[in-house]
Amino acid sequence: MPSNVDTARSVTFTAETASDRAAALIDGIPVSLTEYRCPICGGTFTGYADLKSHYATAHEGAAAPVVAVLTLNGRNCEVLIEPHWTLKRTLQFRLGLTGAKHMCDKGVCGSCTVIMDGRAVLSCQMLAVECEGRDIETIEGIAANPKWRPLIDAYCRWDAMQCGYCTTGFLVSAKALLDKNPNPTEQECREALAGNICICGTYPRHAQAILEAAARLV
Amino acid sequence: MADIAGVNGQREHFRVVGQRNLPGKLSYAIAAGIAKFGNDYALPDMLHAKFLRSPYANARVVSVDTTRARALPGVADIVTWLDEDIARISSHGESFGPGARPWLDNIADQEGAEVAVIVVAEDEDICDEALRLLDVEWEVLPHVVDLFRGRSPDAYVIRPQVRDTPTFGAPGMGGPPNPPKRGNVAYSNVISGDAEAGFREAAHIIEYDLYTPAFAAHLPNPSGSVAWWFDDPYCSEGGQSLRIEGAVRERMAIAMMYGLPPEKTVQEGLFMGGKYCDWGLRKSQEITPLLAKRAGRPVRCVNTREDMFDFIMKQRYVHMKVGFDDAGMITAVEDDSIADGGVWGSSSFGNVGDLTQGPYNTLKCKNVTQRMEIVDSNRGKMYVSGQHCPFNWDSITMAIHLIAEKLGRDPIDIARLNLHGPTSQDDINPVPSFEACVEAGKKLMDWNWHPAGTKKLPDGRMHGVSFRYQMCPRHSFSSYNCKLELRNGVVHMPTQGPLFGVFAVECNAMVVAEELGLNYDDIQIDFDYRETFTPVGGGSDGTTASAWAMKECANILKRQILEAAIEYANDPPMPGFGHGFGPPPPPPGPFAGLTPDDLDIVEGRVVLKSDHSQGAPFRHATPKNIFATYSGRPPLALWVTGQMGKQLDTMNTAYCEVAVDTETGEVEILRFGVVADPGKVMRPISLESQIDQVMYFSQGCQLLEDFVYDEKTGVKLNNNMIDYKKPGMLDVPRVDREFLETRAGNAAYGSNGISHSLANTHLAIIAIYNAIGVWVDPPATPDKVLKALGVI
Ligand code: FES
Ligand code: FES
Repeated sequence: MPSNVDTARSVTFTAETASDRAAALIDGIPVSLTEYRCPICGGTFTGYADLKSHYATAHEGAAAPVVAVLTLNGRNCEVLIEPHWTLKRTLQFRLGLTGAKHMCDKGVCGSCTVIMDGRAVLSCQMLAVECEGRDIETIEGIAANPKWRPLIDAYCRWDAMQCGYCTTGFLVSAKALLDKNPNPTEQECREALAGNICICGTYPRHAQAILEAAARLV
Repeated sequence: MADIAGVNGQREHFRVVGQRNLPGKLSYAIAAGIAKFGNDYALPDMLHAKFLRSPYANARVVSVDTTRARALPGVADIVTWLDEDIARISSHGESFGPGARPWLDNIADQEGAEVAVIVVAEDEDICDEALRLLDVEWEVLPHVVDLFRGRSPDAYVIRPQVRDTPTFGAPGMGGPPNPPKRGNVAYSNVISGDAEAGFREAAHIIEYDLYTPAFAAHLPNPSGSVAWWFDDPYCSEGGQSLRIEGAVRERMAIAMMYGLPPEKTVQEGLFMGGKYCDWGLRKSQEITPLLAKRAGRPVRCVNTREDMFDFIMKQRYVHMKVGFDDAGMITAVEDDSIADGGVWGSSSFGNVGDLTQGPYNTLKCKNVTQRMEIVDSNRGKMYVSGQHCPFNWDSITMAIHLIAEKLGRDPIDIARLNLHGPTSQDDINPVPSFEACVEAGKKLMDWNWHPAGTKKLPDGRMHGVSFRYQMCPRHSFSSYNCKLELRNGVVHMPTQGPLFGVFAVECNAMVVAEELGLNYDDIQIDFDYRETFTPVGGGSDGTTASAWAMKECANILKRQILEAAIEYANDPPMPGFGHGFGPPPPPPGPFAGLTPDDLDIVEGRVVLKSDHSQGAPFRHATPKNIFATYSGRPPLALWVTGQMGKQLDTMNTAYCEVAVDTETGEVEILRFGVVADPGKVMRPISLESQIDQVMYFSQGCQLLEDFVYDEKTGVKLNNNMIDYKKPGMLDVPRVDREFLETRAGNAAYGSNGISHSLANTHLAIIAIYNAIGVWVDPPATPDKVLKALGVI
């Protein structure tokens, strides 16, 4: 069985275990690349120069992947990506982080939200190569940070989720709000989350959760 | 009396059931971003697959030359409909509509349909490029996306080979047979009583039209799967085992599709995303095992958002004729509808499947004629496998308001007059639950109905209100196989995943805690795909039904624990000797010579009923591990007996208040109100959440959402989330809710589910009519309002 497969069975998800698992995902991202895989034919190389010369001979005319250094949840990591890859795609398929979700892929739903240099942005609309040198915070980083436990707790206590698919996008937007405005009003919560769509209609519970979290965070 | 066949149906004191703020068992995983849905899986060495999708609304692939695509670097495999591997597979999931059809063929019956070819490559971009390099010869055929054109006698017949007779829901028992299919149109008629006689009795007859637009399901998580084969140390016979993620609850269907025993078909993921009555497997969820087998590598196939604009509600036009007497009592109903049959294999809900479950069963009037034309179309597919919010329900809501308008009476009084009592259509006593709901609803809404177009708000906008009733469905036709274990002093509830968003497991765990005198957190959920207990089965009503079965199981476990505690006390181990190896056994509780009736369980301790301070924690009371099982369901599954709506127990009511700006045409829903009687509230936040969800669904389909087609090409013009607007945080109105607990349901503690029975197609539309005195078809966009007002 492939090695990075999640086997969640028999795990009890508590605030602690979920936070630990998020932290483990972040810790598991290698700082530097040791293998360079050709995205076209799957061939692997030990150095980037070898991959580039493979491209020149085997895939002439194709744009070779590039090595980008992303600053994710406070740590630098090298990724090998094609220039047109979005940050969302990179997070999932290169870094194993699936907290940012793909719902619309058009910048409409907010499910893929991450925080970049302090602002909530849509990772499906950002080219990964453009994110170099910028501070990227994902839901996994927020969940792994004990400071934000009250926000995670409040989301769980208030069922600010049904199927849970959009939830992380809302939570990241909520965290970005609280960074800027630790004591938001209900209307400010609603406005901050206006870019997130929940098909399951959980809307009223988000402000409830954020207001409770804000009271505990101060 | 509720729950007569069960235990504790009339329990009066609840410590756990009904509590708020108990986090879901998977909530922390979701919130922390570690929950993996099917489309999240990414494996080393994984290939990606994509289907050829039709650019035409109706077409046939005559031939495909794959040479250029196969030559593209990075392409691992190409499979066509002519391939033997494809011919061998067939779907075993929820399936709809008559007529066997190959799993993949060369017929494309809607734009975007999967057709003829699947490509497998190193990544999705290469798949796309390979699809572009296919040399496909298409035979483009005429299409039907306009139902009126499709039903005309000279219309091109798009699907002559299927749907001779609608198979589900109609005709009525003993009724005349349906006419044979003609052109694109199949017929389904349900006739009860004598409508003609009813119209002769009537003092008034009204006729009106009601239009329901198509409404997109678009599930939150794009459907798809990832599959791979592996050497299974636990089950090595018969070759490799299959691991598939993303097949939602249909692991067994996948096993059957590939001829695998269940134990060799593994799906461990716990998160299936939003699945509300939509259980149909998409092809992307079924094909990956075959492709992974051929490639010897994991394969992922996930739909794009554009591929996911299926219907949760199909287009329907209804013409209604209703007769009533001077008091407002309905004497006859004629319901003539033209409904979208969708593409081949569409669910019959939304058309014929609703006919025998409509609102008419709740009326005293028995003279009802329903005639439906179901038009084959190339508009799209509906996968919904069950609905408790029949899509034509509001045909009668509209009648009630129109009768009220005509007679100058309050629509709630007209509804009360026409609604039959609990036992049958001949029962003239009002349903107590209905009376309780409307009494509370009137207070909640400051109900003050006014004739249409007569109330102006201080800001100049016109004010309108509406009201609607529905029954709470009872869904207890499934049995639930429950198992509870006391293991090392801890109660375990083994449960099958994956789960969707109704907090059903939590509700069941609360019931177990309640019955066993434990706290919610004491119940350990063991998720295991091999287990048989799954509380998913009809949304919240399935939850309450499974909770009934789980309550029985908890009481069996309780009895066994008490018996074991007495047995241990009667036969304690000799001092210094254990019952086996390991540490010395704990001293037993003070239960020697007692009977189980002398004991109880309180806060995780077996105690004397007469003195709760005398007792022992589970671990001390018995060293045994104890297993309890129960298989069954609550009594009275009205769906099965055909009495759905003809017998009534718990009801719900919804209200809407709007303001309409007659200068701009803008409609604001000032608030929705819901007073519902689920019998007993099990998990309040889930219930609130479910109600908000359906009210937002309802808002969307009445004010915002509709599919738009290019009539010339049959192509959908708005199958993306920019052009198709779902309500967001700032769009949704206030929803005021109140719950009653009449304990009149048939599931745990007299509960019934709510499911999505409050979902409606015309509550806001009727309120708009009440505001401005003219009808606007949904979605009531400002331009349509202004047009209806004659302003533009
Ligand atoms: S997936 Fe990025 S905004 Fe919807
Ligand atoms: S919880 Fe399902 S989409 Fe928001």
